[in-house]
Amino acid sequence: MFSSKKPTMNSHERPPMCVQGDSGLVLTTDPKPRLRWTVELHDRFVDAVAQLGGPDKATPKTIMRVMGVKGLTLYHLKSHLQKFRLGKQPHKEFNDHSKDALEMQRNAASSSGIMSRTMNDRNVQITEALRMQKEVQRRLHEQLEVQKHLQMRIEAQGKYMQSILEKAYQTLAGEGAMTATGSYKDLQNQATMNLGAMAFPSLQDLHLFNNDQLEISPQLDRPLEDFFPSNETLCLGKKRPNPYSYSNGKSPLIWSDELKLQEFGSHEENLKNNIDHEHLQIAPSIINGGMEMESMADVYEAKPLMLSVDSNGEKYEGSSKVGRPSTPRRATVSTPERMSPMIRGGGLGQTRNLSYA
Amino acid sequence: MELVMKNIPELIIPASSSTTTTTADEDNNWDDWSSDINWYQVSGDFPSDLPSFILPTAISSYPAGEAEPLAGADAIHDWSYPSTTTNSHATTPTTEGPTRNELYNINEPTSASLRLIHLLIAAAEAISGDQKSPHLARVILVRLREIIPTDHAAASGIERLASHFTEALLALLDNPHQPHQHATTAATTGEVLIAFKLLHDMSPCVSFGHLTANQAILEAVAGERRVHILDYDIGEGVQWASLIQALISKGSPAAPHLRITALTNGIKGSASGAQEVGRRLSAFAASVGQPFSFRICRLDHSKRFTPAAIKVVKGEALVVNCVLQPAQLSSAASLTSFLTGAVALSPRILTIIEEESTPSFARAERGFVGEFMDEVERYMAIWESLETGFPMQGRVREMVERVILRPRIAAAVARAYGRQDGGEVAAERCGEWMAAVGFERLELSSFNVCQAQLLLGLFNDGFCIDKDTPNKLALRWKSRRLLSASVWGLPPPPSPSASLLF
Repeated sequence: MFSSKKPTMNSHERPPMCVQGDSGLVLTTDPKPRLRWTVELHDRFVDAVAQLGGPDKATPKTIMRVMGVKGLTLYHLKSHLQKFRLGKQPHKEFNDHSKDALEMQRNAASSSGIMSRTMNDRNVQITEALRMQKEVQRRLHEQLEVQKHLQMRIEAQGKYMQSILEKAYQTLAGEGAMTATGSYKDLQNQATMNLGAMAFPSLQDLHLFNNDQLEISPQLDRPLEDFFPSNETLCLGKKRPNPYSYSNGKSPLIWSDELKLQEFGSHEENLKNNIDHEHLQIAPSIINGGMEMESMADVYEAKPLMLSVDSNGEKYEGSSKVGRPSTPRRATVSTPERMSPMIRGGGLGQTRNLSYA
Repeated sequence: MELVMKNIPELIIPASSSTTTTTADEDNNWDDWSSDINWYQVSGDFPSDLPSFILPTAISSYPAGEAEPLAGADAIHDWSYPSTTTNSHATTPTTEGPTRNELYNINEPTSASLRLIHLLIAAAEAISGDQKSPHLARVILVRLREIIPTDHAAASGIERLASHFTEALLALLDNPHQPHQHATTAATTGEVLIAFKLLHDMSPCVSFGHLTANQAILEAVAGERRVHILDYDIGEGVQWASLIQALISKGSPAAPHLRITALTNGIKGSASGAQEVGRRLSAFAASVGQPFSFRICRLDHSKRFTPAAIKVVKGEALVVNCVLQPAQLSSAASLTSFLTGAVALSPRILTIIEEESTPSFARAERGFVGEFMDEVERYMAIWESLETGFPMQGRVREMVERVILRPRIAAAVARAYGRQDGGEVAAERCGEWMAAVGFERLELSSFNVCQAQLLLGLFNDGFCIDKDTPNKLALRWKSRRLLSASVWGLPPPPSPSASLLF
């Protein structure tokens, strides 16, 4: 049924504009001759439309001019264009397969433009996702660095403060009456225990913040779960037992207002006495890491809180009791439903709590 | 509300002009006290232009992180905030009815606690402003003293806060020109140090500024062989402990030699105190193997700083560090001379740690009452941050408040008063002024910001970081800014032939 077609019709190089009216139209043999839109004719139609900037921009008159097919009337084109506009999608796909290379060469025409853009978009999306993952990875590494340094700096501060306190302690012993020193010992016990309690559980919590901290766009929710290998690599452990003079560093002690006054001795002794108390509990407020309060209500044994890091720095081990609080942490860390984006710069507390909901 | 009143018969402040009702016998008590003063007028009639006085917790409907204070109208409506009997932060268990502590619990402002604050404001108004009435002020303050139990261990958070402010105001009345120097701090040095350490542990206010400034310094002097730090107010020297540690842990390039020069301002005992700090720091540095030296530089008798007083060694990178604590701030002129002198020394970097006030206030217009209320807000926020973080440790908090915060309150009030008298414009909010002197803003690195956020993670959730200009991080508790650390540098000299801008 194809009338003589121009040899150039199916080639890649279509002569730009005027197709001479050599190609006759195919008319039906009905009593009333109706134009038959052959595949070819339709292709030309689509090309013309594309050249004109899409079905919405093209008008029958211009199409007619562009197509340059003799015998094609405005009426033919009007109705065909209307159908085309309504059924653009199926036609597009049809065109896709047959004309796809050609389409790629046309730029700025919307339908073909959309076509090529879709393919490019996919590539772009993939590169974009890769880039974002790299960015996240970089930030993770940076966070780990920051955590390490922060921990060392806080410890240095603590050590320095401790040395100050020891001097103060000596002066107090020199000057004060027994009651005064008693109450100051009391408070100092609280102070040192406070620091111990804060330094250790809190620093343990640092590694949790890896997951909560990142400023990631919401799109990356899913990929990131695969992306984070596992908890272990995110953990920050101390490389050696606490070198500083906190003997209370052995266990995160609690803190209660009702401390018994201890005998005056070195405060290591004082603290050991405290360690032996039966009714030690972690004051919920000390553990800012959002650990469940209930899980911390146990009595801690006087075991050294050793966070050891193995040779490649990736393992996290705790002492027996510490293992317990770390459990809820692992559970929540490894399955965040969503890596909560940072709420604002600094809203990390909120994000942290979200993951423990 | 009636229930509340019945339980605290001694609180006989009448209700504000809004809705609370009082029982009959309270009115009688009130009149007994002083018949010639119309208390209803005093405490009920507040100026309509009351700037937004926020109780940080009263407006718990804030979305977290909102920086705008409420309009004054909202604050006024909160006066009749009904006391609740269910109080999640109660320090004492409730059996029946609200106990005294609950009523004054800072996290749930009751009408009783709000009234304390209102009385304070009324007293501040009476002290200053157009109709100065020292007599009225004194009457109010004495009344406050009577209401608040003197045994601070038994008092609640807000009561203690109000008591410190009351004493500060009274000191103003007694000695308007040199009020805070006679502040009775019964605290011994030992007590101060312990309290300081406690504060350091309980609140990021201390560490935040230090760590941020230190990180900026580390980045600025990376690779130098000698570093010289000029410290305006060395305090206890805590800031440098972590810097020393960071320098020594740098690893492969050998740690630079660190020299610290501390300025002393001539107050009695400050020089010896600074020497002691120097000894401590030297010992600490020796313990980690950091080459270190320390010296003191005295400001001259007029408290001005001359650059020539600093011995500068060739080839060292100079860093200037300013911790601006209002309590220690001797005078604005002194600070200005210091900063101008610092420009002359062309430091590599200049770090400033200062207190922040609510940004919406235009400083010039506030007057004493406005500044007073700003300080009340600030300390309310600090109180609240401590209490929220450590609700069970009332004794510890009380001690920290009394030993560390109370002198600061007294100094802040005194400074505010001095300013309204037509005194110097405080230069402690240096931001705009710095640019005028020739400093430019240096950007804070992402490492620094990340570190600050992690640090806050160790403390209560209510703390946040704001970064509104690239060179400044501000620490915020809920909606109230407390502190900020900012970083400045000098622009490089344009070219050898051009004239040096100093």
